[in-house]
Amino acid sequence: MNLLRTYILPRILQWALVIFVGISATFLIPRLSPINPVDEMIGRMTAFASIDPHAVVSMRESAMALFGLEGTLLEQYGRFWARLLEGDLGVSFGNFPRPVSDIIAAGLPWSVGLLTTTIIISWTIGVFLGALAGYFHNRRWSQFLERFVVMVYPVPYLITALVLFIIFGAWLQIFPIMGGSRGEPALTWKYISTVLYFGFLPALSIIIGAIAFRFIMAKALTTTEIANDYVQYAELAAVPKRKIILFYVARNTMLPQVTDLALAFGAIFEGALITEILFAYPGLGFVLYNAIYNADYNIIMGIALLSIVGVATAMLIIDLLYPVLDPRVRLR
Amino acid sequence: MGTIIETNNLRAYYITKAYGVERTVKAVDDITLRIQEGEVYGIAGESGCGKSTLLRILLGAYQPPLTVVGGEVIYHLDGEEMNAADMSEEQQRDLKWRTISYIPQGSMHVLNPVRRIRDTFHDFISAHRDVTKKESFNITGEYLRDLGLPEKVMASYPHQLSGGMRQRVTIALATILWPKLIFADEPTTALDVVVQRGVIQMLKDVQQKEGSTLVLITHDIGVHANLADRIGILYAGKLVEEADAKTILENPRHPYTRYLIESLPSLDSREERLAIPGRPPALDRPPSGCRFHERCPLAQEVCKTVEPNLIEIEPKHFTACHVVEEELNVAV
Repeated sequence: MNLLRTYILPRILQWALVIFVGISATFLIPRLSPINPVDEMIGRMTAFASIDPHAVVSMRESAMALFGLEGTLLEQYGRFWARLLEGDLGVSFGNFPRPVSDIIAAGLPWSVGLLTTTIIISWTIGVFLGALAGYFHNRRWSQFLERFVVMVYPVPYLITALVLFIIFGAWLQIFPIMGGSRGEPALTWKYISTVLYFGFLPALSIIIGAIAFRFIMAKALTTTEIANDYVQYAELAAVPKRKIILFYVARNTMLPQVTDLALAFGAIFEGALITEILFAYPGLGFVLYNAIYNADYNIIMGIALLSIVGVATAMLIIDLLYPVLDPRVRLR
Repeated sequence: MGTIIETNNLRAYYITKAYGVERTVKAVDDITLRIQEGEVYGIAGESGCGKSTLLRILLGAYQPPLTVVGGEVIYHLDGEEMNAADMSEEQQRDLKWRTISYIPQGSMHVLNPVRRIRDTFHDFISAHRDVTKKESFNITGEYLRDLGLPEKVMASYPHQLSGGMRQRVTIALATILWPKLIFADEPTTALDVVVQRGVIQMLKDVQQKEGSTLVLITHDIGVHANLADRIGILYAGKLVEEADAKTILENPRHPYTRYLIESLPSLDSREERLAIPGRPPALDRPPSGCRFHERCPLAQEVCKTVEPNLIEIEPKHFTACHVVEEELNVAV
């Protein structure tokens, strides 16, 4: 089929290429660093206890093999891909024998759950309110709303999160201040309700800032959109306002908004670093933070790989969706 | 045939206030018009003479800074006399498209780029009539066929149509509900001559089919010659001459109109055409007396101080010029 050959296939190839280059870069960059993680580890182990030098040498050798640091760079690269394609991301240095894929898999659902929910909620509310406020920019309520949002937007995320944390978690003690759930994981309302309960504050802290950003963007896009001839003409013809807002204004602002939405989804795999640390939420951000703290390269690399694939895939999906979103995008 | 729309001593100014400095642009100054049912009334004049402003007032589609400061606009529709100033927003909306319609200037951008033509038609039709989507598709299809447009434009997006086709679709969109009174603002500008001819023919067809009234605004005297029954010449916000098209073209009396007609190229003569000396006056501080006196070769002392009145120099031929008036008095 022509569409497949001229539009879809090249984009899938591009997607594969981006992932290949990205992963190769994550392989290369840590190896350019003068610090050898094995020596680091051995250094840490021998700092407070004396170990037999022969044991150290043999430990170093086996650690080099385990971490895939033997041989020339090219040999390492070959082995790296071979292992990767089997789904083996190596073992964690910090939690020594535990495989990286295990650790990431444990954190992943938390981050995906938290961020998917917050992204969808904040995007929808922000786009909706922003479009309304942009369209009715002369009304008092929209001006009030805009002033309020402009006040909230510049507050750094950390401050918003801390204020919520202190008021609702520490002072009023309505919401828990750490963890992701209570009890044994099961598909029962009892367990799921604790997930929602524990997730509420972290989610709220993200949503506030995200809505403000989305609102400002949607309002700016709408303001330029309503000056367009086709909007003015539809208004002159007394087309109902509901239709004008939906099909003439909002529909035309969708292209940048949907792109941004997809990018936000792609970035989910990095987790929400500050949120997860502050609320001790067991997601990928928390895992990443601990990995950085412990120089746990394999985990950092695992998360980086995941987020490369995530962003590239999001871009692929959005690229394939463009012609549906905007008929002016040629299928070429 | 009665009057369908009239203005009495209409004055409309753009009043802006910036940093306490008030600026008034007298775009429409003391204009009295009687437009008859079923006629094509052409309004001609150079850029910035107030043509589009006048049209906006007649259409009832204006917002501050444009303000009507004096005079009135009266519609005679369905045997009723309605003063535009007394009409509620509701009444204005009801009139639009069913009774009064508008073909905009630069219709390249009046069609929503992300909506198929037939959906735009449905939006406009269903705003005024209780129809299902299918019914409005039928109405649209039939009307486009009547006007000789290919049916495939129905399913197209605006960017897939040529400029001329887009303009024709816009004319169809403006007249789909058979309005009694159609305003057209520069409908042929920015089209090449061949396409212009098609568009002019289409306007003629539309107007004659239902005997609607067409108020046609363009600087292009050639278009007026093709379409208009009567022509009003605007200069610097004032009506300076008005007569039937033949008289204006063959026997113009106001010096400005004469310049306009003489500047038209002709096939017989190859000599250079005279341009009107000087530049159009700025309307925030129009010249005293006759507004044309600074550029007029016949100007006399009286022209600089006294504003000429529009007088009937022969049946149904009105001119506002001291010199012409004097000649007339001498002849009598």
